Amino acid sequence: MKIGLEMHFQLPTRSKLFCSCPTAPAEPNHNVCPVCLGYPGSRPALNRKALEAGLSIARFLDCKIEERVWFSRKTYFYPDLPKNFQITQYESPLGTDGHFDLNGRRIGIWRVHLEEDPGRIKRVGRSGEEIAFVDYNRSGIPLVEIVTAPDLTSPEEARALIDQLVTELRSLCGLEAQDEQTVRVDANLSVGEERVEVKNVQGLRNLEKALRFEANRQSKLLAAGKKVVRETRRFDEERKVTTSAREKETEEDYGYIGEPDLGEFRIGEMARNLELKETPLARAKRLVASFGIGEATAKQLVLTSHSLTDLFEELCLHVPPERAVSWTTGPISGNWAVLQDQAKWPDIVRIVKDDSEGLINDTEAKRRILSLAGVQQEAAVEGGDGLGKLISDFIDEHPEVLADYRKNPKAANTVIGHVMKESKGRYSSREVVEGVRKELEKRV
Amino acid sequence: MSDTYGLIRYAQTKHLAFTEVAEGLEDGKFHFSAKDNLCADGFQARAGSAVLDGYSPPFDATCIGRMKGSGGQLVGKTTMDEFGFGTFSTNSAHGVPLNPFDRERSCGGSSGGAGAAACLIPGHIALGVSTGGSISGPASFCGVVGLTPTYGRVSRYGLIDYGNSLDKVGLLSRSASLVARHFRTMAGPDPKDPTSCAQPALAGKGRMPSSLAVPREALQNLDPSVRSSFQEALGKLKGMGMEVHEVSMGSLRFALPAYYILATSEASTNLARYCGMRFGRREEKFDQHFNDFFTGVRSEGFGDEAKRRILLGTFCRMVGFRSRYYLKSLAVRQLLIEEYRKVFRDHDAVVTPTMPFVSPRFEEIGRMKPLEMYGADVLTVPPNLTGMPHISVPCAYVAGLPVGMQMVADHWKELDLLEAASAWENVFEYRFPEVSL
Repeated sequence: MKIGLEMHFQLPTRSKLFCSCPTAPAEPNHNVCPVCLGYPGSRPALNRKALEAGLSIARFLDCKIEERVWFSRKTYFYPDLPKNFQITQYESPLGTDGHFDLNGRRIGIWRVHLEEDPGRIKRVGRSGEEIAFVDYNRSGIPLVEIVTAPDLTSPEEARALIDQLVTELRSLCGLEAQDEQTVRVDANLSVGEERVEVKNVQGLRNLEKALRFEANRQSKLLAAGKKVVRETRRFDEERKVTTSAREKETEEDYGYIGEPDLGEFRIGEMARNLELKETPLARAKRLVASFGIGEATAKQLVLTSHSLTDLFEELCLHVPPERAVSWTTGPISGNWAVLQDQAKWPDIVRIVKDDSEGLINDTEAKRRILSLAGVQQEAAVEGGDGLGKLISDFIDEHPEVLADYRKNPKAANTVIGHVMKESKGRYSSREVVEGVRKELEKRV
Repeated sequence: MSDTYGLIRYAQTKHLAFTEVAEGLEDGKFHFSAKDNLCADGFQARAGSAVLDGYSPPFDATCIGRMKGSGGQLVGKTTMDEFGFGTFSTNSAHGVPLNPFDRERSCGGSSGGAGAAACLIPGHIALGVSTGGSISGPASFCGVVGLTPTYGRVSRYGLIDYGNSLDKVGLLSRSASLVARHFRTMAGPDPKDPTSCAQPALAGKGRMPSSLAVPREALQNLDPSVRSSFQEALGKLKGMGMEVHEVSMGSLRFALPAYYILATSEASTNLARYCGMRFGRREEKFDQHFNDFFTGVRSEGFGDEAKRRILLGTFCRMVGFRSRYYLKSLAVRQLLIEEYRKVFRDHDAVVTPTMPFVSPRFEEIGRMKPLEMYGADVLTVPPNLTGMPHISVPCAYVAGLPVGMQMVADHWKELDLLEAASAWENVFEYRFPEVSL
């Protein structure tokens, strides 16, 4: 099975692609102006932030980037399209020939380009008496389209690709959190020779369902000795089936011409000068390679938060990675709301380092970390338990002491001495003596 | 002032120069008009098309805003060919302007109303728009000065598009000095039109051209009276101390087809938005499929020439024809720019007649086939296609009708052309029709 995807994500800009209308949600037809309504006499001016975001994505996907790009008009008539042409990129995308590594497999990326979103049509009323409303708030919202090669081999893999890509793009350029639900995808799928395009599927779950249905449909046709017809189909979300869209248009029928109002953009230098943030999955890979920690652990770290991972890397400069892992994924991440304050990091590093070098024990280190996090109440209780644990741990590890104690109660001094030393005067000698005696008596 | 307003009303009623005029003149302001494809708050902007009936844009075009900002009053919108599609202003849904010298004849197009207003009203400045010759043509037929600036010199924000890579806002008036003053007002970068942002600043003063090139290819197929008038004008230019050299520009013959392909390709996408949904002509039959709804509005709203150019442009963009026509025409434009540049290495300007004939009678125009009409643009199209500034000035009168002479300079050198036009006024006296109110 071969699957290729055309994914559309909204770029995280405050204003639209070609005008200064806000992109934030609003009452229908509130965020509109002569430009995004296509009023005669208005014209587009490109949003630089959208271009930068698009270029970061193209570079992140390791695309080839030309020195100069331009936009094109894709002409078709539809009520949600104010100019009855969409400004997009046709001959001249931002990037071509890139790739994305999906769980160790290289998925080809054919192109990355920018385009404007049309408006939205909302149908109200009973079937047959429907009234259609058009909301142009979305008209001119900047989208990036990412087209993959048909390198995906299953609906699950298609879903995983988008899932991971969204994770990466979210941190690369601030893609919105809900994009798994709002991503719009056109998918090409072929089980045999002929491919079928399933158009305009919204959301990851729908995509997986649509692809499963389509794969199944094609397999059954082929098994029955029938042919798959090359066509465009639509996914019916309610019935969870794909149906023929009865359209035969090919790309060229859109009569593309250059968009003369925008001219050419020299993007080469802009693209080269962009500083790309390290994305979570790329960082996880690096952590595995540099610190020898497990892949699952690395992913857990980066997906929790970038700054927690920063602290982890900081700790790794002072203690063995496995110690850094157990502290960051344990008590530190448990109190991250407070401990993410970088002013506390030098203390955290010192505590973990002291613990690692044996200057204090784990219990004490944990108590100090918690105290840094402001959970002293519990720390005090923990402290009481800590003494008991300190004593019982030592006795567990040294059964010979218990044997001695049976013969000579003075053997308790070995335990007392150890605990006093370990707790560095945190407990009064009476507390320690009583605690030790109680524990030994209990076991005898 | 009241005389001026009387003339404006006269130009509106007797010559159909205006689609709308202001209710009166404001004290202390200079008066200017705008072609009806330029948007202005308070006026309809219908671009000569019934499909835009009722469209009152909520904003001023940048050029109009700048004119108002420097103390101007917009006194009216001038008649034009629908969306600029024409050479004689006969393709207009809101009245065909009549020539100030002879009401039986055309004002030229597509800024015909602007040409008539500039001619009939002393001290008036008319904003025109040229895609393939729509300022030079009316300037020639109406006997006024018409400047078409370099593409990108004046912001197109607020201009209703014909061919975006070709459209230029310019000015028509009785005198070069008035054109020069207001050209400075309107020129300059505007962030709302990115194509205006790459221009060099205007110099303080232009340089008088000293060497002129006359392409011999441009002298073919001229009306004999235009040909001899032009030769005489060349003599006057020499008398002013300019050198005149005949040159050859072989690629000029490709300009007309390339222009009509590019302009109609762009126009056919620009006109897609007129479908009766959001502005302009409205249609109330909402129970139809949107395709039928759109088709109904467009069939009724567009005139024949608009339909012809939509069909032509759509054809040129289609698969299989796109590379043969649209992409090839883009290459021709580059070729022509190179050819002009070569001439500008040794010469300061290229000079030709503006139109191959004087203004024809409406009955003659009625007998012309579309291709003959397109052919009338043969001399104005080349500088328009290459985006080079050009100016048309009256250079003779034949049987009482003005003959125009056109000068083309290299990109951004409008001021040189204005120097030449000012000097020309000292050696050649312009005539204007007498108006009795």
